[in-house]
Amino acid sequence: MSESSSAPAAPVATARVMRLCLWCVVAVLIELGLYLSYRGHDARFHWFTHFFVGSAVALLVMSVVALHTRRPVPVPLVWPVLGHLYAMFPDLLFSASRVAHQRWMDVFLGHISTHFVPGRNLTWYVVFLAATAVYLGALDRLRSRER
Amino acid sequence: MRSRSRRRLVGVWLVVAVGLGALLVVARAAEGPLDDLDPAYQRPGLLDLGALPRPAPPVTGEVPAPGSEAVVFFVRPDGLEALCDAVAGTELAGEPDLVVVVAGPAGSCAGDLPVVADPAGRLAEGYGLREPADGGPPVGYAVVDAAGQIRYRTLDPEVNDLLSEVDTILRAV
Repeated sequence: MSESSSAPAAPVATARVMRLCLWCVVAVLIELGLYLSYRGHDARFHWFTHFFVGSAVALLVMSVVALHTRRPVPVPLVWPVLGHLYAMFPDLLFSASRVAHQRWMDVFLGHISTHFVPGRNLTWYVVFLAATAVYLGALDRLRSRER
Repeated sequence: MRSRSRRRLVGVWLVVAVGLGALLVVARAAEGPLDDLDPAYQRPGLLDLGALPRPAPPVTGEVPAPGSEAVVFFVRPDGLEALCDAVAGTELAGEPDLVVVVAGPAGSCAGDLPVVADPAGRLAEGYGLREPADGGPPVGYAVVDAAGQIRYRTLDPEVNDLLSEVDTILRAV
């Protein structure tokens, strides 16, 4: 999930890489923190479900935006994190405000029902990998247009 | 040039696939013998899941009692003392009736918590608790509302440290 590779001048390229890496570090640290938090609550299963679902949706949105604007989306690693945060929002309510889950919370990318799909997290893993492939395919298409 | 760029993208995809796949395997391997074989049903945080609500079988003469919520804890004999200590030091919303069902001979519990022996597992079966990974008696709890209906049930081998979740469920009942 890298940004465009349209041969910019070296300083510009360096600046872009640095910016990407900064956001990369921030995104990875956020996800690491979330994973450790879920693990602390003995709830890794839930982290995987909401990460895969939220990130997959984000990757598909990123693909549409990239193809529509004909350029890679900015700060690409942040989009999946935002998708994940949206999908897991009821868990924040549960632990921070002691609000039990309710069925209407499926508005958060199927927060309730996504746990019960056949294959469970293995299914969402495959969906996530497919969405990643779609986004990388969109990047490839953009690069081929640039040449 | 194009094929190199494409190979790089495929490489990114492979790193993501292998990395997250390995993390999935590690997380699965970390699940314990008292956990639910299907983690979707362990601590779902949602009332009335599946066949619920349904009438709660009597555990003692007083639990469940009309007009009172109740929490029925299920524990193995070696976990009784720790559970009793944890529950005795916790205030739960609505001051529900509490009872501990032991999968073995009844013991005593700190804080005068009633303890009921269930060596044959009939009460656990009556409350519909799922079988843990090791095939032994379930460790977890069920929440009964004031109308005597089971509204929530789950395996929870970490319940001693997660009593705040019981409180959250009680607030929703």
